[in-house]
Amino acid sequence: MILELLAVAVALMLLLWGIGKIPLSYNLRNLTVRWKTTLMTALAFTAVIALLTVMMAFVGGMKKMTEGTGRPDNVLVLSDGATDEVISNLPIGDLSEIENLPEVARAEGRPLASREAFMVAIQSAPTPSGGRPKRRILQLRGIEDPRLTAWIHDLELLPGGSWFSEAGVQEAPADGNNGNTPAPMIQAVLGEGVARELGRDRTAEQLAAANNPDRLDVGDTFTLGDRTWIVVGVLDSADSIFNSEIWAKRSLAAAVFGKENYTTLVLRAKDAEAAKRLKTFLAEDYEKAALNPKVELDFYKDLSETSAQFSYAIGFLAIVMSIGGIFGVMNTMFAAVSQREGDIGVLRLLGFNRRQILVSFLLESLLIAMVGGLLGCAIGSLSDGWTASSVVGGHGSGKFIVLQLAVDAEIIATGILLSLSMGLLGGLLPALSAMRLRPLDALR
Amino acid sequence: MKYLRLIFRNIGRNPLRSSLTSLVTIVLVFVVTMVWSILWLLNIVTTEKSENFQAMVTERWSAPSHMPLSYAEVLGRGAARNPGDVKPLDSMTWQFYIGTLDPKNPSSKNVIFSIACDPDKIAAVKEGKFATMMDGLESLPDAQEAQVLADVAKLKDTPRGIIVGQNHLKTTNKRIGERFKLTGVSITKGLDLEFEIVGAFPPGRYDTMAVFNREYYNNELDAYPRTHNGQKHPLADRSLNLMVLKVADSAAFTRLASQIENSPELSNPAVRCETMASGLASMLEMFRDLIWAMRWMLAPACLATILLVIANAISISVRERRLELAVLKVLGFRPYQIMVLVLGESLLLGTGAGLISAALSYGVINWWMGGIAFPIGFFDRFMVPADAFWWGPVVGGLAALLGSFMPAWTARNVKVAEVFSKVA
Repeated sequence: MILELLAVAVALMLLLWGIGKIPLSYNLRNLTVRWKTTLMTALAFTAVIALLTVMMAFVGGMKKMTEGTGRPDNVLVLSDGATDEVISNLPIGDLSEIENLPEVARAEGRPLASREAFMVAIQSAPTPSGGRPKRRILQLRGIEDPRLTAWIHDLELLPGGSWFSEAGVQEAPADGNNGNTPAPMIQAVLGEGVARELGRDRTAEQLAAANNPDRLDVGDTFTLGDRTWIVVGVLDSADSIFNSEIWAKRSLAAAVFGKENYTTLVLRAKDAEAAKRLKTFLAEDYEKAALNPKVELDFYKDLSETSAQFSYAIGFLAIVMSIGGIFGVMNTMFAAVSQREGDIGVLRLLGFNRRQILVSFLLESLLIAMVGGLLGCAIGSLSDGWTASSVVGGHGSGKFIVLQLAVDAEIIATGILLSLSMGLLGGLLPALSAMRLRPLDALR
Repeated sequence: MKYLRLIFRNIGRNPLRSSLTSLVTIVLVFVVTMVWSILWLLNIVTTEKSENFQAMVTERWSAPSHMPLSYAEVLGRGAARNPGDVKPLDSMTWQFYIGTLDPKNPSSKNVIFSIACDPDKIAAVKEGKFATMMDGLESLPDAQEAQVLADVAKLKDTPRGIIVGQNHLKTTNKRIGERFKLTGVSITKGLDLEFEIVGAFPPGRYDTMAVFNREYYNNELDAYPRTHNGQKHPLADRSLNLMVLKVADSAAFTRLASQIENSPELSNPAVRCETMASGLASMLEMFRDLIWAMRWMLAPACLATILLVIANAISISVRERRLELAVLKVLGFRPYQIMVLVLGESLLLGTGAGLISAALSYGVINWWMGGIAFPIGFFDRFMVPADAFWWGPVVGGLAALLGSFMPAWTARNVKVAEVFSKVA
């Protein structure tokens, strides 16, 4: 839609140029002769558009993440009334029966079902010297069979990693100072985003010795709860909510954080239609337990309420800042008209009509807007790939995410379109005033 | 005085340009004011206080925090076990209740977040002074203090009473004295409560929060098994979400925190005791990049735009008035006086526009929009503080001053001979 609108806008500009008759070189020379004014006006556009591009990239990243998580043939089962995994509490006894329902797909004789316990953990982050204690919210998913869970969620490990073992722990190196045997380390698989977040805690010496300076990697350790955790793998999960999660053996994670029951059961149905049937059955006809099933894709889509709120906020800011931009370009163009009254008089005497004068000044304003907008988009595009943390949520649920800002063609098109709109609206009144000048009055 | 009149006359000479420059400044200072209003409140709540020092106790490792209600008694005495241990000056229990007005379609528009607590802790008169355990209520104007005290008195007399935030009055479309029913959702699913609105918080910090009698809530939790085949509500044994403790000063807090975090009575689950400001700062940590972008990208970009627009307008003005500036020099004006003249015009425009913008922001946002809707952490809406009345003129004035420096320097260096030779 945006791309089409931009195409229409560019076509209109070309049309204006076509019907303008006054050579474009005249406008270009005027712009270059008053290069300081042109530059400052264009830079004002640049600042506004660059900022909006970054903000849209942030929302774009958020949307990409919420819409890129989940499958249409997965059904996510929570307990009745639970709007979020963290407050769900599934009765253990009923799960086998649900897993063996005919709609659930099977492989190698067992149902494709993942039992999960989602927890929100609080980690004490390193306190800056003289600063107050800091803590961080982390999301932990306790699972039973990491291979099965990863397969159901369509996730793989980055090269060099492995899934945690059946025991889920490994021995910690002996403490040389007092000879005590430390508690075994809990093996964890990290989402790439959370690995980056935890990697920020490392000291300069740790960073110098690290395999990967950007994030925690296989073999690195961190502290969570009262235990030491060791990274055995990193998920290839850049565009997914799982990017911000820590996966570990459920029984071990549950013991640390006191989560006795499963929170979530994810079932792979035979296809998307079967998933819908399964969801309806569990919601309406299953009598043994009250459940809140959702097609996984819909569950994660619901989290995009936050990105919708941010979109409204950006829309509001875009309008307010555009008004500023419009007044700015109007100022420049009115000055251009008043400085070139003589030119206008000569042009009229040479036979150019009022409409052509209007088009000439409009084109000038649009050119400034186009240059400023393109530069703004170029600067804003530098944010593509930046990581940022935020919270997404909606309908009573929420998740902490580490997202990657994403600039796409639609965002660039929106930026240029907005810039051109500012140029058009800001240039229209001055162009009309230029059009209405009488040749003799202009020359006097 | 003559000089000032000259500045005013120059501004009035091209009303269109002056108006457009002012409008840009007004619009962009409006954005800066919005951003700074949000940052201003976040800064206040995360700054450690010297008076009314409060500590917050929550579950140590897990979120959302759920502690047994029995912890309230231990925490109320600061987990003091030995003679000489520090005891809090006061305490307040927070038990969260989340309910919806529309159980068929619960959404952020019809869900009400409320706290079950002891009404006396919301506000009371102690030793002839207004006392509160709710952060932000301690600095209310006298009339609002009196209103809160009256509302609390009604709450104590009305077992099912509730004091709501200003936003709830709009959401429920109810007035004080009317009743409504909330259907429990999320963690409080299964607990449906009926309320009578006995009062409303003053506009501001508690616009989206409601408080009611903890006795009503705990009685309903106790009664739950009678209607659910003897099964306890999942929250029955962990309905205490947060405990606020008042301590004398930071030294007392340090000792109290140590007592609490090391108490064997508070070990399952373990708890964390931190200052209220520190706790809120930790919650906002999840939004740190967003706050960083607002502070270091959005506001500076607006300032840069104002600067560019003003620089542009003033340089056009200087270019158009080269002849006049040369005449002024011939008449005896010194270069610095010419520079001050140009800077003065710009400063006056920027400061005036900034002041208008601040007044507009205050009126439009606080009275018309009902605050800036920006849900972040515990906060839903942000009001523009009265401080904006000095931010606006200062921001507008400074941006104008910086933006006009180069054009003013050009004006200062206008060469009389050069200008007149061109005229000739």
